[in-house]
Amino acid sequence: MFFRDRREDDLREELEFHLERETERLEASGTPREAARFQALRLFGGPEQIKEECRDARGTGFVDDTIRDIRYALRGFARAPLVAFTIVSTIGLGLGLVTVAFTFLNMVLFRQDQVPNIHEMFAVDRPRTAEREPAPLTRAHLDDLRRGTTIFTDAYGEISGIDFPVDGRVLLMTFTTANFFQVVGVNAAMGRTLMPGDDEPLAGRPVIVLSDRGWDRLFARDPAVLGRALLVSGVSLEVVGVMPEGFRGLSIVPPDYWAPLSMVDDVVPTYRGRGAHVDVRVVGRLKPGISRQTAQAGLAVWSASQPSGSPLGPLASSGSRGAPGMTLVPWRGTVQQPLEAMVVTGPLFFAFGLILLIGCANVANLLLARAVARQREIGIRLSLGAARGRIVRQLLTESLLLAVLAAAAGFAISRVALRALVDAMLTSWPPEIGDLQLLVPAADWRVLLFLMIGAGISAMFFGLAPALQATRIEPVRTMRGEVVRDARPGRARDLLIGVQVSASAILLICAVVFLRSALAAATADPGLRTVDTIAIQIAKEATRTAMVQAVAAEPSVVAFAASSPGALGASRTAVAETAGAKATVAYKFVSPDFFSVLDIPVVRGRAFTVDERSPDLPVAIVSETAARVLWPGADAIGQVVRLERDPRADVRAADEPRFQPRSVTVVGVVRDVAGFRIAPFPKSIVYLPTGAAVPGTAVIARVQGDPERARQALIKRLTTIDPGMEQAGSEQVGVLGWIVRMETYLLKVGFWFTIGLGGLALVLTLSGLFSVLSYLVEQRTREIGVRMALGATTADVTRLVLSQSIRPVGAGLLLGSGAAAGLSALLLATPGAEFIGQIVHVLDPIAYGASLLVITAACLAAASIPATRAARLDPTLTLRQE
Amino acid sequence: MSDQTDVLQGTLDLLIMRTIALEPMHGWAIAQRIQQISDELLRVQQGSLYPALHRLEHQGWIVADWGASENNRRARFYSLTKAGRKQLDVEVSKWERLSAGVNLVLQKT
Repeated sequence: MFFRDRREDDLREELEFHLERETERLEASGTPREAARFQALRLFGGPEQIKEECRDARGTGFVDDTIRDIRYALRGFARAPLVAFTIVSTIGLGLGLVTVAFTFLNMVLFRQDQVPNIHEMFAVDRPRTAEREPAPLTRAHLDDLRRGTTIFTDAYGEISGIDFPVDGRVLLMTFTTANFFQVVGVNAAMGRTLMPGDDEPLAGRPVIVLSDRGWDRLFARDPAVLGRALLVSGVSLEVVGVMPEGFRGLSIVPPDYWAPLSMVDDVVPTYRGRGAHVDVRVVGRLKPGISRQTAQAGLAVWSASQPSGSPLGPLASSGSRGAPGMTLVPWRGTVQQPLEAMVVTGPLFFAFGLILLIGCANVANLLLARAVARQREIGIRLSLGAARGRIVRQLLTESLLLAVLAAAAGFAISRVALRALVDAMLTSWPPEIGDLQLLVPAADWRVLLFLMIGAGISAMFFGLAPALQATRIEPVRTMRGEVVRDARPGRARDLLIGVQVSASAILLICAVVFLRSALAAATADPGLRTVDTIAIQIAKEATRTAMVQAVAAEPSVVAFAASSPGALGASRTAVAETAGAKATVAYKFVSPDFFSVLDIPVVRGRAFTVDERSPDLPVAIVSETAARVLWPGADAIGQVVRLERDPRADVRAADEPRFQPRSVTVVGVVRDVAGFRIAPFPKSIVYLPTGAAVPGTAVIARVQGDPERARQALIKRLTTIDPGMEQAGSEQVGVLGWIVRMETYLLKVGFWFTIGLGGLALVLTLSGLFSVLSYLVEQRTREIGVRMALGATTADVTRLVLSQSIRPVGAGLLLGSGAAAGLSALLLATPGAEFIGQIVHVLDPIAYGASLLVITAACLAAASIPATRAARLDPTLTLRQE
Repeated sequence: MSDQTDVLQGTLDLLIMRTIALEPMHGWAIAQRIQQISDELLRVQQGSLYPALHRLEHQGWIVADWGASENNRRARFYSLTKAGRKQLDVEVSKWERLSAGVNLVLQKT
């Protein structure tokens, strides 16, 4: 196209040359100059016409053709703006939704942090098996690692993702060793980063470095922020620097600030007193030139030389010798398990993709109908000599143009939807669970590329079949005005409707499954009294006596008990041996009032007496299942059981009472506690005595009146003893009812999501079905008139119209439910399925039946309108319409 | 009349290609040469010359390049490509078959 001007000049020059030579020749043979020129022109013919023929002979370029197609398409849209608008909005909606899913995925998977040579950053990972948690890797171990290995230029340690409320806002903070910023290699945008001197335990004033997000959130981008202080947990933290925008500290979400690791004791209430024992993540920068395998091998060698039992040593036991000890995982600010991230966003993509599919199917049907209407235009073009491929290309260009416009609309929709989604989640999140940290994910070039590709694929999907169909006509007949009226719906149309119906079916089935599971979860009896029970964790053992007294003194507290682990905490296991049986059971230390506070009925024997408050006493209470397992057919009361430590048990935390093997006598049997789907109670459990005075136990209190108010009152009372309790979250002082709320919340979210999408899908499908049937009725008016004239009744006509839709709808329902069942089976087969299966009953026949019924009814309703319209046709009028 | 132009168009291509097979020439020279060599029997319709040249160029049988003409003015010179040479042989054999067939019919009837 750019050469066009030059080519025009060339052509003109060439022809001009010819004319000059001809003129000269004629002059040479005697004709005067004027006449010669005139004659030369006459011999030549009109130069403009010649030029036109030359241009035709050359043909036009690809770009010229495309521009012409685009202009033609735009003119077509201007003539039928409603059609264009419908197509753009339908596809735009689908594309926008899919882009929402991709933006999330992009945020966690692809966006690497802005750190120089990020491929050199690796975190040290210690494998966890299903049975044990590795012992914490503390700061001291980090120093050993740094000194002992040579694979890193340097390594830092961090505790990240600590969040708790301060002044009503939740702050997200990360504690790192002072060399963090040097290892990462990023300088502050304002002020300075942390230096080694800041991390000493006795450093002067504690300092922090803000992230760009923290600067915005906490100080409103105050330019004079350096030197200002933040008061957290009674500690004044001075701001000495602000990091540049976009730096996330190699996390997915940047913290509000980074603080020295030595501060973690003072600042974080739950870590008080155990800062030195906290597990620290080690991240290092590999020396340039060392590959990951080499480094990992070097690490394994060094780790093997460590004393056994040290967290730095190789994994002892677990059967497999030579199991890898520490490994290196790339640390780039993206999600660590990309597969898991994709598995989680997979359903999102799938659901949104279904909407896009339905939208494309609708648009394809629409274009098929339009193709019939444009037969005359296309027939003329074909007969004028246009190649069929050329016309198909032009129709595809139209579709692509629409898809590009839809992509632009989709981008706007995705931004709006993301913001709305984040706002909705933030406002509806139950506050007891904790605080939700959610950002609206940013859109970068990958998102735009994804949109473009999506638009292209959609254009192919909804544009190709109609384009091919439209050119499959006989030019002569169309010129004569005989428009081929598809008497029978094409296979393509049936297929599209079937696809739409199956997609709607899948979504609706999911919605009903969620609904029923939510109802079941809300009405299930957990076997515990949770609605007015408050659990309290005692952080500082020194305050235990005072705390317990305070709880007892609180007027709203009706009764209280103690247990270890806490009421819903995961129990450890032990091996129980009797004369006739041996089994692994869970065990829990509980105080005498435990069963009455939690309303767990004692079915035989008794609970612990007031004197039985010490872990050393040889008495125990068992659950019904444990009694059945250990003494089948016999009475458990009075029996003796030996409890040994479970060799496969987890390594315990430092502050738990140590389990001593013992023989105990059973004094009572209690009912099994079902627990919750997300926090199940073990069925086979042995209860051992303890008391509120014993270190390591948590307190449970039954309150009267409003539990939330009681909770606040308790917190206020406990703060007078331990100021750190002021900021207590739900894990420290929380109403147990929150678990029920959380469970139903998650299921409700799932329900609203799928019903929203399912409803949208169904609406699109119904509108598609409706328009196709209306169109068909219109096409077959003449035929229907003839039939009625020949004696068909209204019932016959209605049946005729409805039968058009039965097959594709039926096929769609079958395909949809089959796909849903298949996917559910697949889901249940994956690891982690057990968890899902407990919460959501995926293969619920009532759900399938109900949604299929709804869809069938809706389709029938949609089809009935064109059917009645057809039945009401007056044959005499239709036959006269010629 | 239309038949004549059709045949002439095919033959025009043949004549052009044959003419420039020996040496590159510009459009006007090609017309002159054809007229000359055919003893004035064939006169090229000037209006169809340049479209034919451009068509042949688009098809890839000939290529064009700017050069200096006999009187030192810029002109577009056409020459035959390798593919064009092969096509020329094809066209020549087609023409020979055609003329032989016509001659036979004329003789025997």
